Amino acid sequence: MSISTQGGDQSRPSVVSTGKKPAAGGKPAAGGKPATGNPGGGRPGGQGRGAGGGGKGPRKPIAPVKVSQGRNWGPIALFVAVGVLAVGIIGWGGWAVFQGAKPWADQAAGIDGIKDYRESPDKSLTASDHAWGPVSYSLTPPVGGKHNFNWQNCMGDVYDAPIASEHAVHSMEHGAVWVSYKTGLPADQVSKLAEKVRGNEYMLMSPIDNLDKPISLQAWGYQLKVDNADDSRIDTFIRALRTNAGIEQGASCSGGITATGTTPRDLGKDGATQ
Amino acid sequence: MGTATRPDASAPAGASGADDPRLEQLEDLGDEDFERDGSSGDDDDSGDFDDNSATGEGRRRFSTGWVAIGIAVGLVLGVAAGLLIPGLTRPGETSVEAGFARDMSTHHAQAVEMSMLAHEKATDPDVRTLGADIALTQQAQIGIMQTWLRDWHLTPTGTTPRMAWMPDGGGTIHDGLMPGMATDAERAQLRAATGQDFDTMFLRLMLNHHLGGIHMAEAALDQSDDEQVQSLAGTMVAGQKKEITAIQALLDKVGAK
Repeated sequence: MSISTQGGDQSRPSVVSTGKKPAAGGKPAAGGKPATGNPGGGRPGGQGRGAGGGGKGPRKPIAPVKVSQGRNWGPIALFVAVGVLAVGIIGWGGWAVFQGAKPWADQAAGIDGIKDYRESPDKSLTASDHAWGPVSYSLTPPVGGKHNFNWQNCMGDVYDAPIASEHAVHSMEHGAVWVSYKTGLPADQVSKLAEKVRGNEYMLMSPIDNLDKPISLQAWGYQLKVDNADDSRIDTFIRALRTNAGIEQGASCSGGITATGTTPRDLGKDGATQ
Repeated sequence: MGTATRPDASAPAGASGADDPRLEQLEDLGDEDFERDGSSGDDDDSGDFDDNSATGEGRRRFSTGWVAIGIAVGLVLGVAAGLLIPGLTRPGETSVEAGFARDMSTHHAQAVEMSMLAHEKATDPDVRTLGADIALTQQAQIGIMQTWLRDWHLTPTGTTPRMAWMPDGGGTIHDGLMPGMATDAERAQLRAATGQDFDTMFLRLMLNHHLGGIHMAEAALDQSDDEQVQSLAGTMVAGQKKEITAIQALLDKVGAK
């Protein structure tokens, strides 16, 4: 069996392989080009291509069709294309990594009901200059804006009485999340909120008398109002924005005002030490 | 299959042999063709190349194309692996490393708060110096740990409870505070204290704080094989142990009972 096959093969060794390779790769040109020198094939080139897998024996495309045109350009073009592709992939990967550097903003944007004032046309909402004395804020509670030189201590401090927004805004500028609740919120709700705050720096909590919702969370530029301390969005808000929303990276929450009262304390003004 | 393989295997011998009838055909082609033809010893490959030679340029593009595609696929896989592997190997959201970085940052933050008070208002100059030393050192270490979290693409606030990364760590939390941390009442007392009372109270609170911090840092040393975590946690253990010795000496000095 092998002898007879071998004999036939030796006379035209390429016959076998011609049949085989197109089967694997389906290269069209192989079948097409030698059509002229393929009397035994009995098939047009186009057909041979399609039936390459089966067209094993009968084809004898031996004719040495010499083609000497710029065959070197093909590989060059291909390798250039591959190089461009590789550079593109690496560039894309680098860009994606760069973009991935701020996932917290995406997390915040995904919170149902959150208000993002950072791109608001009213730039006073997130102004960051310092001022003595009371400041009038258009949002209650404010999410940013002009504020006192002193920040409210935000080392997980749980204040049991209203505090000055002028200090709390400064805390948020440092990265704190301010948990505020409407005065009179049931004690169990208050203690659930306090558990999220106590012991965690960049967190502070206080009641507010004229709040329109039971609970309002603020970070610099962001606000979320909810009805219940069990609302899972509270944790999501804290996780996304605690320290991240601050616009002074590394700024401290200690060394701030620890007193309550809604009138800002102008510590340091005219050398006052209070 | 035997029949198919055997003739193929004989092909290269024929192709490189001087008496190969095809040699005349091959002579018309370039040297490169011939060398490549002769050097490809495998059955299928040599057979393929015969075909290349015979059919000319079209056939060559075919194999070059596959080489190029193979390289492209290899590059794509390599780049993808390069992008993926750091993400798979760096500490994750619930890792010991992330828990340590987050919790120790918080633990340190309170030490900084108390130490700044000491730097501001301690009576004994050595206590004031100790306060500055602790505050500056631990604030810098907070910066290191926060940078880790950023490098690991993690947020400063985790999804897991405090101390969950430590064995039985949850049980060490009291009123939201990690081991050694001062309570809200103690912090308020410290702020209100003056004179020698302040110095004594600060030293005692700081001693406890360091004991808790050392406990946490040792847990990180035990559980993490991250080089940076090992290095910083080791520094914390050694540094805070030395400071405990200094605190005990200062307690004697300021006359605490």
